[in-house]
Amino acid sequence: MSRFRKFIVGILGLIVGLILSILIVKMQGKSPLEVYKALFGYSLGSLLSIISTLNAATPLILTGLSAAMAWDAGAINLGQPGQFLIGAITAALLGIYLPFPVWISIPLILIGAAAAGALWSGLAAFFRQKYNMDEFVSTLMLNFIAEYFTTYLVTYPFLDPKAYVASTTAIRKAFTLATPDQFNKGIYLAVLVAIFTWWIVKRWGIGYEWHMIGLNQRFAAVGGCKTERDYSLAMLYSGALSGLAGGILILGGTQHRFMKGIGGNFGWDGVMLAMIANNDVIMTVIFAFFFGALKAGGIGMEFDTSVPSEFILVIEAIIVISVVATRATIDLYGGKLKALVKTRRVVKNS
Amino acid sequence: MRGIYKIYPPEVLALENVDWSLKKGEVHSIVGENGAGKSTLMKILSGLIKPSSGKIFIKDCHVIFSAPYQAMKMGIGMVHQEFMLIPSFKVYENVILGSEKDLSKFGGLLDKRKAKSIIKSLSEAYGFEIDINAAASDISVAAQQKVEILKQMFRKVEIVIMDEPTAVLTPQEIEELFGRLRKLKEMGKTIVFISHKLDEVLEISDRITVMRKGKKVDTILNKDITKNVLANMMVGRDVIFRVNKPFKTPGKAVLEVDNITVNSIKRKTLGPVRFNVYEGEILGLAGIEGNGQFELVEALIGAMALSSGKISVKGIDVTNIAIRDRRKYIGFVSEDRKYTGLALKGSIKENLIMTHHIKNEMHNLPFTINWNKGEIFAQRLIKDFSIVCRSISEQCISLSGGNQQKVVVAREFTLNTPFLLLDQPARGLDVGTIEFIHKKILDMREHGIAILLISADLDELFNLSDRLMVMREGKITGILDPSETTKEDLGAYMLGVKENV
Repeated sequence: MSRFRKFIVGILGLIVGLILSILIVKMQGKSPLEVYKALFGYSLGSLLSIISTLNAATPLILTGLSAAMAWDAGAINLGQPGQFLIGAITAALLGIYLPFPVWISIPLILIGAAAAGALWSGLAAFFRQKYNMDEFVSTLMLNFIAEYFTTYLVTYPFLDPKAYVASTTAIRKAFTLATPDQFNKGIYLAVLVAIFTWWIVKRWGIGYEWHMIGLNQRFAAVGGCKTERDYSLAMLYSGALSGLAGGILILGGTQHRFMKGIGGNFGWDGVMLAMIANNDVIMTVIFAFFFGALKAGGIGMEFDTSVPSEFILVIEAIIVISVVATRATIDLYGGKLKALVKTRRVVKNS
Repeated sequence: MRGIYKIYPPEVLALENVDWSLKKGEVHSIVGENGAGKSTLMKILSGLIKPSSGKIFIKDCHVIFSAPYQAMKMGIGMVHQEFMLIPSFKVYENVILGSEKDLSKFGGLLDKRKAKSIIKSLSEAYGFEIDINAAASDISVAAQQKVEILKQMFRKVEIVIMDEPTAVLTPQEIEELFGRLRKLKEMGKTIVFISHKLDEVLEISDRITVMRKGKKVDTILNKDITKNVLANMMVGRDVIFRVNKPFKTPGKAVLEVDNITVNSIKRKTLGPVRFNVYEGEILGLAGIEGNGQFELVEALIGAMALSSGKISVKGIDVTNIAIRDRRKYIGFVSEDRKYTGLALKGSIKENLIMTHHIKNEMHNLPFTINWNKGEIFAQRLIKDFSIVCRSISEQCISLSGGNQQKVVVAREFTLNTPFLLLDQPARGLDVGTIEFIHKKILDMREHGIAILLISADLDELFNLSDRLMVMREGKITGILDPSETTKEDLGAYMLGVKENV
């Protein structure tokens, strides 16, 4: 499929998803018009809304890429939530305790977050290489460990006694990446990393090998690809992307600290993005902005209408299903339609 | 069948205006290259797929089938190329599956005793020696085929369609099958025999329909026709069955296999095996499948570790080096293009540059791939090996089998390796493609490449090889000169009756 067609199919799926959501809102006795007005207004309606859309999109770009590039390489990393949390806690702790000047600390914090995420996915890669354990299972399980481990850290050793909820103290003010009106400058980095990822996946030798291993591992191995090295690198890079997402959220988000439950749904949303985008790097980024808009809009929607912001999760899920279903449907019926047209033509001509 | 068209989505024209008829009590063969539409036509007749246009008449009665059971009711049944049996089910259970309702007692319980007795008498009537209580997974392929035929007889089918039934059988089993088919014919059944093996077709059929590229070329009586005439109709031009091979004195040893052994837990072990392949030589390896060929290939390519011994190419010891480095010296055409030879969902371009992507000339920076060069390279290969496709970005899965194999061969033959390992390079291909690939193999021989050709097709071995080597139970049991050996003789070596090493 050409990228253009992929894009059109994606948009069609989105439209179907939004229509289905209208029906659900309607069934709840709320006005769909108001809901969508609020969604739009708070995501793109003003400079402030646009900023909150971009802020929400920033971690999504990275977690989405994390899932997309790993799956494309045949490494079923489902550990984005865990890798995100481990990256975030690392950034938070470094942000509190690093004594160096800003220009060296911020890069160190971000590298540390990425490295921590890579360590977390690297564990799963190690288990697979050493004990032939499926990363599909181990990354999922590592999510729980990450969640409770970080909760433990912020509840006991690093608890800020003055905080209302379990959380660390705030990072040093100088390290924050947010502008006074709350714009997360980390998005520049996220986009740069996305471009770099595209370059690797599409133009590097290892990107080619990843894609081939994802399609047919035995073929790639016999063809001389370094399958084991490539697999490990895919897992590490994927984990690093998720970890970096966590780091950027700590430095550029609104909390500037690690709070229990801070990751929200960024990890799983990344998984959904990769599904919608069919593991394509560019599509993942585009859909990340769209999901960012939904998230930002959802919070506003809760203010204006009485629809809870959790409803956004429902919409997201519906969109995932409808995009994937639309893709399959168009392939199936589009093909049948073409066949019918051609039959007409051929039979007439003879 | 009148005016049958079939177009597979999205736009693959599989059948074009085919008129075809079948007479009661005949053996009617349908021949054609892969993708000529033989199977498609018969799948339409048996109700498995619907025609895009056209009508089917049975005894002048217009019928429309939308599922196989409807065709079955009209007495038409098909034995597919891939058997449709449930491995864990017993033979008789497989036979009654789908029509077990007719055998119920007490309003729902299956009357197993009745089922068994019916099937037993059926199997005796047709002279099938088969244990109806054995599990389908425990019996041989030939016996599984008997079960498939029994299934049709149990459903009182009048017309039996057999899709490439001989592809999975040994020569002896083929003879047995033909005996059975003749018996069915005597009992008044009508048989449709789909094949691309011309000798078999000429042996068994009353009438022959030749198909080419979705169209019927002709239906002829099997009288006074030769293999060459049939082949000509199939391919549309003359086909050379014997290749002209200029004599060549072999040069220095290129591949040296020195007493290698492979011990694995699951499979039969290999070795010790010792042989050389020389510059400009084609060494043919014969043997019944499962006698160590798989292990030899895996060991040569580096996918399986040796237990002992040494392999070298052009004097370079490759025994312990990784596949990636080995591929500088070894080109490899695998026997299964679907799982080893190709990434079917990848584009032609991506499939063609595999292994080439390691070479420096494909890189801009040491770690990036120069896709411009890759595309030029892919275009050149498509031209040189006449691969029929819409574009280099097309997925390999949408190519015909022959073109898929050409992609594999094109890639491996252009690696500039001194040694080529060819594992069944022409298996399952049509005559035209086989001819093309054989020509390319001889070209490589002309260029001084050392070639190890593993094949189950004895004609191919005799036509191409300079020397023949027989493998049995993991060891080499014979080295023969093809010009002084007969097929029967080779068969004796393969079965272990004779040895000369």
